[in-house]
Amino acid sequence: MKLKNSKSKATKTAEARKEKLLSILKNQGLTIYNDLEIGTFPQFSIPSRSVSNIVYDKKLRQYILGNSSAVRSARNMSQLRSYTQLAWLAFFVNRLVKEGKSSTLRDIYYSSQAFTIDFEDQPESDNIIVDLEALLSFPREDFHIFPEERSSVFGDLTIEYTVPGYEGKRVNLSDHPDGYLIGPSLSSAELVDTSAELVIAIEKGGLFTRFVEEKVHKKFKAIIVDTAGQAPRSTRGLLKRLNREMGLPVVILADGDVYGEHIAMVIKSGSANAAHLRELTVPDAKWLGVWATDIEKYKLPTIPMTESDIKRIYDLQKDPRYQEGNWKTQLEVFLKLKRKAELEAFSKYGLTNITDKYLPEKLELSKSL
Amino acid sequence: MSLIKETFSQISPSEFFYRNRDLAGFSNPTRSLYTSVREFVENALDACDQKKILPDIHLSIKAVDPEQPDPKSYILSVKDNGPGIESKHVPLAFGTVLYGSKFGLKQARGMFGLGATMAILYGQITTNKPVTVRSCADGKTQDEFVMLLDIQKNKPIIQKHTTKEASKTGLSVSIVLEGDYSKAGTKIRDYVSQTSLITPYASITFEDPSGEKFHFPRIVKEMPPPPTIIKPHPHGIDVETIRRMIVDTHYQIPIVDNNMITKVRSELGLQKKNLNSKGILERAQKKWSGLSRSVRTIIAIMSFLNLDFDGLGKIRIDDLDIANKKLSYWNFGESKSHVIELDPESPYYKQLANTVQGDTLHSFLTKRFQRVGPTTADKFCEFAKLKPEKRIGSMTNEELVRLADALQKFEEFLSPDPSCLAPLGEEPLSKGIMKFFNPEFAAVIQRSASAYSGFPFIIEMGIAYGGDIPSAGLKVYRFANRIPLLYDEGSDVVLKVINEMDWSRYKVKGDPPLVIASHICSTRIPYKTVGKENVADRPEIERELKNALQFLARKLTVHMSRQGMADMAKKRANLYSKYIPLIAQFVTELSGNKKEPNYKQLIKKGSEIEEQQI
Repeated sequence: MKLKNSKSKATKTAEARKEKLLSILKNQGLTIYNDLEIGTFPQFSIPSRSVSNIVYDKKLRQYILGNSSAVRSARNMSQLRSYTQLAWLAFFVNRLVKEGKSSTLRDIYYSSQAFTIDFEDQPESDNIIVDLEALLSFPREDFHIFPEERSSVFGDLTIEYTVPGYEGKRVNLSDHPDGYLIGPSLSSAELVDTSAELVIAIEKGGLFTRFVEEKVHKKFKAIIVDTAGQAPRSTRGLLKRLNREMGLPVVILADGDVYGEHIAMVIKSGSANAAHLRELTVPDAKWLGVWATDIEKYKLPTIPMTESDIKRIYDLQKDPRYQEGNWKTQLEVFLKLKRKAELEAFSKYGLTNITDKYLPEKLELSKSL
Repeated sequence: MSLIKETFSQISPSEFFYRNRDLAGFSNPTRSLYTSVREFVENALDACDQKKILPDIHLSIKAVDPEQPDPKSYILSVKDNGPGIESKHVPLAFGTVLYGSKFGLKQARGMFGLGATMAILYGQITTNKPVTVRSCADGKTQDEFVMLLDIQKNKPIIQKHTTKEASKTGLSVSIVLEGDYSKAGTKIRDYVSQTSLITPYASITFEDPSGEKFHFPRIVKEMPPPPTIIKPHPHGIDVETIRRMIVDTHYQIPIVDNNMITKVRSELGLQKKNLNSKGILERAQKKWSGLSRSVRTIIAIMSFLNLDFDGLGKIRIDDLDIANKKLSYWNFGESKSHVIELDPESPYYKQLANTVQGDTLHSFLTKRFQRVGPTTADKFCEFAKLKPEKRIGSMTNEELVRLADALQKFEEFLSPDPSCLAPLGEEPLSKGIMKFFNPEFAAVIQRSASAYSGFPFIIEMGIAYGGDIPSAGLKVYRFANRIPLLYDEGSDVVLKVINEMDWSRYKVKGDPPLVIASHICSTRIPYKTVGKENVADRPEIERELKNALQFLARKLTVHMSRQGMADMAKKRANLYSKYIPLIAQFVTELSGNKKEPNYKQLIKKGSEIEEQQI
């Protein structure tokens, strides 16, 4: 059993991060305050998130933003509104963080109305949130802003809450067979202790439940994470922490198609959408399957690819991360097969086939990857 | 071989309508209640229009027994301040079917006044209660009739007739009928309110079964000019109509009764003097040019029969057979029928022949149709290959069909005379719309007259936007001859034209607060169904509707862009003074300051930027 570092140290790290964010926010506030006072139009300089400024960093093994940045000025009539929105968000996030309150993307959109900040729709407010992330180089989770959609986690992992009212309370994530939602409380909790030696991220809720029923967590000493499709950032954040803080290797099981492959890739090296953030990737994560080559090897039942599946393959072939190794090979085989298989395809050989046969074999194989 | 005997029996118009009441909108208690309201209100409005009286209409619907569930018996009463109907006409007007005063060709809400009698008939067959009519035509006495309709005989059965003093003219009709107000109520209220929109010069009060009163006051004090009765346009005529026109064109052989004899005597100046037959003819020759047509005809008959006034009183003319030159008559004194030969050489023969055969085609065309002058009539006769001097009474069936056909096809007739139409007019329509919807913007248009198949029509349309109109998408109010059309709107030509319009081109999008009121006036609205609720899509009408709609939509666009520019300027003007204080408020807390920064300088700079940009 691995014992996590003492609690006080972890709390200190979290506290320090919070203090850093608050001080950056305050400095922004002071700058603007002074500008107003001396009659200068204040402005933000936000790293540009345009396609031309998103580059792949081979060293970091993820997408990052380049050097160009855009100025948003209160002087510019057409930017004044969005400038004010950004200033409001900084102000609102400052309150959230100071008071230890959580919010969601949707909640931000509605909260704005109380301050006569008129976002036209939620995408507009979501966009301002990303602007603030880029401006401050902090992910929105640090702002206590979470998406609505949530995925789950199950396994022998003891956590300790840091959210107000639950401070110091501990929970073991194998206590509830449906798993625990990866929400704000879990994201901000300390990871205290685990007996697991592995994290299995799985794309689908149905198989997640099956894995729990089949006691995969015991058989493989694993923590199981349901990514519910493309993993949300809170989930990727948790995977990252399990990997870094608890030293657990992460493996990924997704559908045998181009989307499944990309789910694995995003966990491993991030998405272009989050190129301004650095805390969400697990560069050593391993994609277990289902590979295109598995389809033939395990004689899986398949369905034909759609036009958009095939188009997606061509798109990904242009991505620098798919230029070599297994990632490249599998894309080519998918393109050759023009067929795909779901994780459920293993049911053809019995409901437990995937856990009894496929998973052990792939895990064994992954050691050599 | 067996003989199959078929029996034919005649049914009275009342019975016919009784058997076909579905056609006239009396198919169920809901529809019947609505249709009855409509018929009575429209009759009342038409009556007032004709006499240029500003209408004051009171409508009330009361349940006989409010406790009963619908459908049940209701008392429907409609009272107006119109000219009333003369006492002697009341029983016939309300107690028989097909008695009407609206057979002339001009625009009116109802065509023949059948609907009201239908409603009375419907009330009678569902509740067995009589109709009560109170009428005052002279402003002095009011006659009250309580009567039933004898369906088989098509005549009224008067149960009670009383008179009393009155001070104002007007008519009130009250019937008891089976209806379903719970279902018809919405439509009836819509009907009343929309009627007040298209009749802004009327004051309408409606009291519903719950006792609630809806009052629609008069919005304009001037009535639109009334329509005039005009002759038909040749394009709007079919064989049957020609036949009917011929019957009342060629002069009937006058009935020889005491009145006629007195007339002949007075025209000849022989009121007291008796002359023999020869003396009478001599006298007639002298006065011939001043004699009326009927008197000339009588003189002609007297000449053939050698009659004096006494003899004239003893006979009845039975038949005049011009083809065989025979005249047959009945002699009361002898109780015997006689036939005599007519001498075609006699100067009186022509008089008789012309009387029976009627006008020449040429004068029939110029006298009985609009837009046909002597030149056009000549051209037409040539086109139709018919002789202009042909007597229309002598035309064969085949020739009549050719005539009707040619009237349709001849293209040189001028388009129909619209003076028989009574559009509401742009100003009253505009006032009605303003008062009714209280919009931010409204525009109206009255198109000039146009015609379809010989029937003139005028399109009036109004558009209203914003203001008190809810943002619930486009709402269309359809009117025809000042009647609101509420049912079957899906298949209506107005809806078709509006739906085919590309509204995005006119800066109208989403669910705009938009109202369109469309009014079609015509001597004959081409309804698709007998229920008179939707107008068929004649290409001429469709084109006019489209033109009217596009004109209004363009006006709306101008308003919208003006509005849009004004909004934009307003937005810009306030941009800095709106946002800078907000920013100041946020950063004060963010920076941990207590006091807001002094941002006045920035707002001043901001307004300078704004001024440069505008």
